[in-house]
Amino acid sequence: MFDREIFERLLSRALRFGGDYADVFCERRRSYAFRLQDGKIHEGSSGITQGVGIRVVVGESAGYAYSDDLTIDALLHAADSASLIARSLPSGEERRVEVRASEIPKLYDETRGSHADASEYVALLSRADVAARAYDPRVAAVNAQVSDELQDVWIASSDGRFVHDHRPMVVLGVQAVAVRDGERASGYVGDGGRTSIAFYETHTPEALANDAARIAATNLEAIPAPAGEMEMVVGCGGGGVLLHEAVGHGLESDFNRRGTSLYSGRVGERVASELVTIYDDGNIPDQRGSVAVDDEGIPGQHKVLVERGVLRGYMQDTLNARLMGVAPTGSGRRQSFRFLPQPRMCNTYMPSGESTVDEIIASTKRGLYAKSFAGGQVEISKGDFVFMVAEGYLIEDGKITRPVKNATIVGNGPDAMTKVVAVGNDSALARGHYTCGKGGQHVPVGVGMPTVKISSITVGGTQND
Amino acid sequence: MTEREALELATSAVEMAIKAGADAAEATLSHAKRFHVEAREKTISKLEGSTAKSLHVRIFRDGGRRVSVSTSDLTPESVVRALHAAVEQAAVVSTDAFAALPDGCGRFAGELALFDAAVAQRDDALKVDDALAMEKAVRDADPRVVNSSGSQYADSAAIIALANSNGFGAAYTSTRASRSSVPVAEAGGVKRTGHYGTAGRFFAELEPPEHVASKAARRAVELFGARKPATARLPVIFERDVAAAVLHDLFSAVSASNVAVGNSWLAERLGDRIGSELVTIVDDGTLPGKLGSSPFDGEGVATRRTGVFERGTLRSFLFDSYYARRLGAKTTGNSTGGGIGANNFYLEPGKRTLDELIASTKRGVLVLDTIGFATEHATGTYSRGARGFMIENGERAYPIDEFTVAGNFAEMLAAVDAVADDLIFDSSIVSPSFRIAEMTISGS
Repeated sequence: MFDREIFERLLSRALRFGGDYADVFCERRRSYAFRLQDGKIHEGSSGITQGVGIRVVVGESAGYAYSDDLTIDALLHAADSASLIARSLPSGEERRVEVRASEIPKLYDETRGSHADASEYVALLSRADVAARAYDPRVAAVNAQVSDELQDVWIASSDGRFVHDHRPMVVLGVQAVAVRDGERASGYVGDGGRTSIAFYETHTPEALANDAARIAATNLEAIPAPAGEMEMVVGCGGGGVLLHEAVGHGLESDFNRRGTSLYSGRVGERVASELVTIYDDGNIPDQRGSVAVDDEGIPGQHKVLVERGVLRGYMQDTLNARLMGVAPTGSGRRQSFRFLPQPRMCNTYMPSGESTVDEIIASTKRGLYAKSFAGGQVEISKGDFVFMVAEGYLIEDGKITRPVKNATIVGNGPDAMTKVVAVGNDSALARGHYTCGKGGQHVPVGVGMPTVKISSITVGGTQND
Repeated sequence: MTEREALELATSAVEMAIKAGADAAEATLSHAKRFHVEAREKTISKLEGSTAKSLHVRIFRDGGRRVSVSTSDLTPESVVRALHAAVEQAAVVSTDAFAALPDGCGRFAGELALFDAAVAQRDDALKVDDALAMEKAVRDADPRVVNSSGSQYADSAAIIALANSNGFGAAYTSTRASRSSVPVAEAGGVKRTGHYGTAGRFFAELEPPEHVASKAARRAVELFGARKPATARLPVIFERDVAAAVLHDLFSAVSASNVAVGNSWLAERLGDRIGSELVTIVDDGTLPGKLGSSPFDGEGVATRRTGVFERGTLRSFLFDSYYARRLGAKTTGNSTGGGIGANNFYLEPGKRTLDELIASTKRGVLVLDTIGFATEHATGTYSRGARGFMIENGERAYPIDEFTVAGNFAEMLAAVDAVADDLIFDSSIVSPSFRIAEMTISGS
């Protein structure tokens, strides 16, 4: 959007009082979306997010300012505001920063310059609507939305980095509401990634709609979830939300550098059953959580977080990596130019183990089969987590029996990971629709998981027996 | 930027939209000056100061085809281009007779006291001192507080200007300031985080840094030694912040956007007695000085007071003009300019203190914090991970965690048997502490 000289001028100005590091994050994001309700295209929307964020780092301190006004005066003013963090440093001399443009890895379709024709998005929504209603006559309402986004980022840093990334992102979500005798139940599924809507030629809206309708219809038949401790089998794919919450957040480097995570200072230690290996990968082509470069311009990487139960490393942004004396891992991400980067997950998953799904189910006397989760949350310092089960079933005497509704799982990260007693051979990435929130910032992520059995977990239902 | 300049920008965006082919249009220009400082120990860990502008335009064409446009690129060429594209995009949106500008716009006539010069003009160095003072105080408060995720001071001064093609145009300026602290305590190899914050439109309303720090420190240390409780049905007291989270769920259930599509357990229940005598819930955008107050909503409709639950009876849902037309009601001034949002949405407080509620509970659970979020608004099911205290013989007997508290909203509201007096308007959805006669606790 600007030429190299502007970035160099802003970086030099930002470091006028000194500082260890400065970077400039320039963004232009165009979004295009439609929403369907009651069988009609309810509304359309579009958006432009454009601006520049300038950061100056001194030790563990960061000064930050952003501007949506792109005139040079406004940008220099932002550089001045960011520089105030270094005001008390002795040097006080403006230094000349030079950056050099570098090529970045190709990870997704970078050729697309705009969204497709409006009619194509509308057709996807209408197909989902028709399919969900056709799946089961009890489906009384369908809500669906599709969005297509193109984000261009230009990142320049005082250590000479200057990169441009062009990131596409599509997502299609379908919610079906089933009704019987006044009772309601709903099912939601979404899919997409860093690609174009051509994605839905193979991942059809019908397939999504059928799943949403099936979950809604299944939940109509569901009995209230049991309450208390029991065995749990987590389904492949979407079960990966468990890794994201129970382990992933605790391995982000800001918490660990500050010593506020229960995983702080534990690299090399056993933190999980030896069946547990966890990766975070920013390099999987077209995945929702992938980044050719992160929001600090560092290439995305494949990271080993936990290997056979042993903690191997954290996810690092540049600030925390420098303070911890390690290399950044391409994990510095931000919601937009209005936010400082944070160490974040990309696509977090567990590779396949040895067990078959049939063996795992058959070995479970009384438990909950949590096929997918609707979301979760974790408390970092002690590691307590909560998940809401979107689709769940009872397991009785080694067989999946009745669907249960409204199950919440509560537990503790390392405790649950130590109780992993079987890992299936069916690892898969979940459909791409997850968004992770941290410190008020939302970024797209991916999760993946084989079928996994945990020997004991607390299920928070309402059925007390 | 002045209110007048903001209103001129909004008005010109409306004119551009009409010129681009829209039948009707509404534009909201927001301009905010924001400051945020975070300290850790004796260091300033973050210092942020910025001015943000954004323009949100809703356009309508031929019988209610609508598209909304948001942009932070306010150059006239870019805005014109975006509006032309929006008019084109609207061609594939279904016609909808209910989609239009509101019939009557205006602003609340009374004095709202939304702006505090003491916030807008406060010296940055004093704000930094606030954050550092909380960091010191939180460590002084308890020897087990050995670390922190930071103490923060933040404020903003914002102008909102709204204009539409029916000739309405108005603007207002408001301030907001907050202090918060997130200490981490350690004992016996276990880390625990506490959090406490204070917020308001007026600087003088904020609790002093020392109060924030001592409450945050207490929250970090008070649950050490927590046990997992046994699974049981017991009375549950939701402390103020957690009670507010329950009100958030109720807000979703009374939002007409959810009611209209059947995504609310209250959809068919208007006029029904649902809660106990103690359940009176109000949405009021006209309370002077409160964070949820404003002279008009997101589509230029004057704010007002709406009784949502009156002594347990569901009296009204909350509407914008679109869902009001669709459901044959009148707007309640709850538009966010695209969705439905709360003004000041709160449960009427009672007369007893939280301590008196605890003292009158023979055996029960005091919930101080929850994690997770309910998603089933259609069925009205509530289930959260929780921590707090077991109450025995009217006293906090011992701390408990790693359990869930679950129930059904209809049953929960009917079983509200005590409401405390500790309502504080530190957000737009707030609640005093309250007790529910019986819920399911799932533990070991």
